[in-house]
Amino acid sequence: SEAEMSDEFKCCTVMEAQSASFNSSVPSSSLSVKLDQSNFRRVSRTEDSSPYPIPGLGADVLHMRVREGSKIRNLLRFVTARMDEEGRDVNRTALRQVVFTGSGRGVTKTITCVEILKRKVGGLHQLSKLYYKTVKEVWDSTQQGGPTGTAMQRTVPAICILLSKDPLDPQEPGYQPPQFPSIPTEDTERRGALLSPKQFKPPSLYFYRY
Amino acid sequence: IFNNRNPRNTAVEMDPVEYTLRKRLPRKLPKRRNDVYVNMKTDFRAQLARCQKLLEGGGHREICVHGLGLAINRAINIALQLQASSQGALQLAANTSTVELVDDLEPEDPDEAGEPMTRTRNNSAIHIKVFYPDPQ
Repeated sequence: SEAEMSDEFKCCTVMEAQSASFNSSVPSSSLSVKLDQSNFRRVSRTEDSSPYPIPGLGADVLHMRVREGSKIRNLLRFVTARMDEEGRDVNRTALRQVVFTGSGRGVTKTITCVEILKRKVGGLHQLSKLYYKTVKEVWDSTQQGGPTGTAMQRTVPAICILLSKDPLDPQEPGYQPPQFPSIPTEDTERRGALLSPKQFKPPSLYFYRY
Repeated sequence: IFNNRNPRNTAVEMDPVEYTLRKRLPRKLPKRRNDVYVNMKTDFRAQLARCQKLLEGGGHREICVHGLGLAINRAINIALQLQASSQGALQLAANTSTVELVDDLEPEDPDEAGEPMTRTRNNSAIHIKVFYPDPQ
């Protein structure tokens, strides 16, 4: 777990370095992933360099790329540390904006991250955009004499969510204002769970109190 | 000494009684004619066709596609498919939220001391408004 965590962290810092230019293509490492579904082996996987669907993003925005295997606690620890006003460095100011993107099976995790962060930080303006991401894959036959390599293009649903401490354009489709009134802390949530109707009975100790 | 914390809560973790986890259905949400709640049981094409029918035949200017948990992906897929097949006439506005879900814990053996319990957890949800923008 220790190694996994540091790996995740490294991954985040790389993302951060790339955040300056949003249009740069990010070729994912050409992994040779073996899938058991057929006699084909994935040789390479390239994600398209689609420009970010959110207009007018500053260059200083932190970009978090959420993948299927990303650990939510690692992502959140990183983001909250960067957004926290108190915990910032001497020469580095706290972040005002952060972008989360995720595709395919990572979409749900992306939304969960955003929802937890909104509860934790509070007062965040949100802008969500949906788009298709095209992934080019090259597959190679593992069988001798079989059909040779095939290139494939797949489109996967993706989401891009901008969270901002500064106000955003409320007219933009996909805008959500911050929810100030109910910011349930983890503690009250747990208490709410305790007091759910079926479970809530005064403990028997109560009657022996006098 | 009266302890303010529920003593049974700490006992939950150590309780040897076995429980069956029963997931309740999500809280019933408001349903207008143009609301579509996407699930993973119904065929994808059927759900897509239903949305198309609402927008084209049903005469709705906007519909709302909701997805919870695993169905988020499918809801996004449906919304993007609708947009693609409209040749850019439709716009999407996505909102996210958290939905509180309740699980029931029922003791396997009714003779044992275990009491039925409930536990709440959160799951993410998406609400996508698919609409024809007003001409300006």
